[in-house]
Amino acid sequence: MIVALSLRTLVRRRSRTILALAGIAVSAALLLDMTMLASGLTTSFAELTRAQGYPYRVTPEGTLPFDSEAGIRDAGEVRAAIQGVPGIRAVAPVLGAQLYLGSGASSGEPIFTTGIDPAAQMLYLLVDGGEPRAGEVVVSEPLAEAYQLQVGDSIELAPELDVALGRPRGIQEFRVSGIGEFLYDYAGQRSLAISLAQLQRMTGRPDEISLFAVAPEAGVDEEALSERIAASTAGISVYSTRELMAAMDQRLLYFRQLSTILGTIALAVAALLVGTIVTIGVRERFGEIATLRAIGISGRRLQLGIVVEGVALTTAGCLLGIPIGLWMAGRLDRILLAFPGIPSRVSFFVLDPLALALAMSMVILVGALVGIVPGAQALRAPLGRTLREEAD
Amino acid sequence: MDQPLNQPRRTPGPEESAPAAAESGARVVHAVGVTKEYHGAGTGTVGVAALRGVDLTVGAGEWVAIAGPSGCGKSTLLNVLAGIDAPTEGAVRLLGRDLAALTDAARARLRLLQVGFVFQRFHLLPVLTARENVELPMAEAGLGRQERRRRSRELLDFVGLGDRSTHRPSQLSGGEQQRVAIARALANQPAVVFADEPTGELDQRTGAQILDLFERLNSTDTTLVTVTHDPEVAARAARIVEMSDGVIVSDTLRLP
Repeated sequence: MIVALSLRTLVRRRSRTILALAGIAVSAALLLDMTMLASGLTTSFAELTRAQGYPYRVTPEGTLPFDSEAGIRDAGEVRAAIQGVPGIRAVAPVLGAQLYLGSGASSGEPIFTTGIDPAAQMLYLLVDGGEPRAGEVVVSEPLAEAYQLQVGDSIELAPELDVALGRPRGIQEFRVSGIGEFLYDYAGQRSLAISLAQLQRMTGRPDEISLFAVAPEAGVDEEALSERIAASTAGISVYSTRELMAAMDQRLLYFRQLSTILGTIALAVAALLVGTIVTIGVRERFGEIATLRAIGISGRRLQLGIVVEGVALTTAGCLLGIPIGLWMAGRLDRILLAFPGIPSRVSFFVLDPLALALAMSMVILVGALVGIVPGAQALRAPLGRTLREEAD
Repeated sequence: MDQPLNQPRRTPGPEESAPAAAESGARVVHAVGVTKEYHGAGTGTVGVAALRGVDLTVGAGEWVAIAGPSGCGKSTLLNVLAGIDAPTEGAVRLLGRDLAALTDAARARLRLLQVGFVFQRFHLLPVLTARENVELPMAEAGLGRQERRRRSRELLDFVGLGDRSTHRPSQLSGGEQQRVAIARALANQPAVVFADEPTGELDQRTGAQILDLFERLNSTDTTLVTVTHDPEVAARAARIVEMSDGVIVSDTLRLP
């Protein structure tokens, strides 16, 4: 009955309760967003890395994937060595380069191009057509849309650009074999993929690749396989998805710090709001609490009632805050993903149920804790004097 | 209605002095040498003595009115006797228990189960209905829902508010609120009911109805200790304890 009394007291002070709930909901939403942001990009990128079944990256020694112009030479031998490691299902070579559109109004426009092995690739999902053979390309959806390209159409590409004239040099004609959704492209990025051998020839980088993506057989220990790949050949670095995440975490420390600071502020604001509301409510009801003490309601039960008020406010605030937080995360994600260079398939805000439960539990715990002090004050107030003051 | 108090009531004879009458029955309240000083803002380091060496015994089934002018210490005495305030000096036994020896929780439990309170300003909980206000002490005492319902219905019938059980205090008149407060005070069948100026906020006619209710209550052997500054109200009690300046100046029985 004490719990019902507390809840009804909140309902009785309707306007104040609604305002408090709104404040707590916004704070909870912000805390939720910061929790999602703290590890969202890393988690999301890890999911993307694993998506095609290629969770390992083999790069030139000391570099992260596409972190420098450096490449792995004697790629054929290295690939064979890696392929020979027990537990490997497939090895996908990737060479990154820049080609230029060779004709039309956009002649000379740089297009990010990847050389791939059509039999083992993890960069795109075909939405139309087939894998590229010699003299063929797979274009990204934005590129196809921009130039009205369809499967079977021709596209002219050049490996070099005459800077002085602004014209491409060494133009070759390719047939569009397919249109793909390029997983690592940023929103609207125009890119394409051609066979590795052809790109190596065009760019003058024979037998060189930028990285290998490696697919393990099922049930292989991630760390052990990583070590075996590294031992298979010299001059390479091997990253499991976990190691890539760690490296990414290191680079995204800024996000973590930002989200920690903003999350702490959100929690503090929630604590202040609930604390203020509960304290004011208790102060107003000193006489009522004294009456309850006088008729024999125990201090422990009264304290419980006050704590319940804080918990009820924060719980309701959290329930309101979750959809607000998710909506805000969606909006912020769209804004952040508009920055160039960030794969459109990743997300800055990833909902982790455990993190969500932890964040909301913290808000609710804060709601419980802030009721303790005003409750203790009300219970410490001299009973006789409080009743007299109430009667005056 | 269940009998709030089971001890047989003994009406003192006209030849008996009031303290002797109380001494001869079962003691509900027994205070010896009670002094209460207040120290705080405005009093400096010197305490203000609200009670100065008060001795008082209340026997089972008595109706004692503590009367006197404002500021004479009667409400302070009531609070000390009921275990709401601790005396600065002296000892109080309530229903055979030495209040100083009890913890706060034990004193609260004693008040919950064996003591009823009626306040001048009713002090009902505004968010609860009349029935819920009456049921609250029962719920805290651990009574089941059905038993609470049954008993609250009986109590509200007893105070004449059986048809107002679902009304909130704001929907009741002052007199009705005080009657609900009396029903609440009786919720756990207390051995003694303390009432502080129970008619102080009511008009004369409504106040008289409340006093009629007290009379009916006392006739069921419930011990009553009421505080009043109104001599007419005090005159309804069987025993009148007059106070002045923190001491008892007279203690008389009203002859039947």
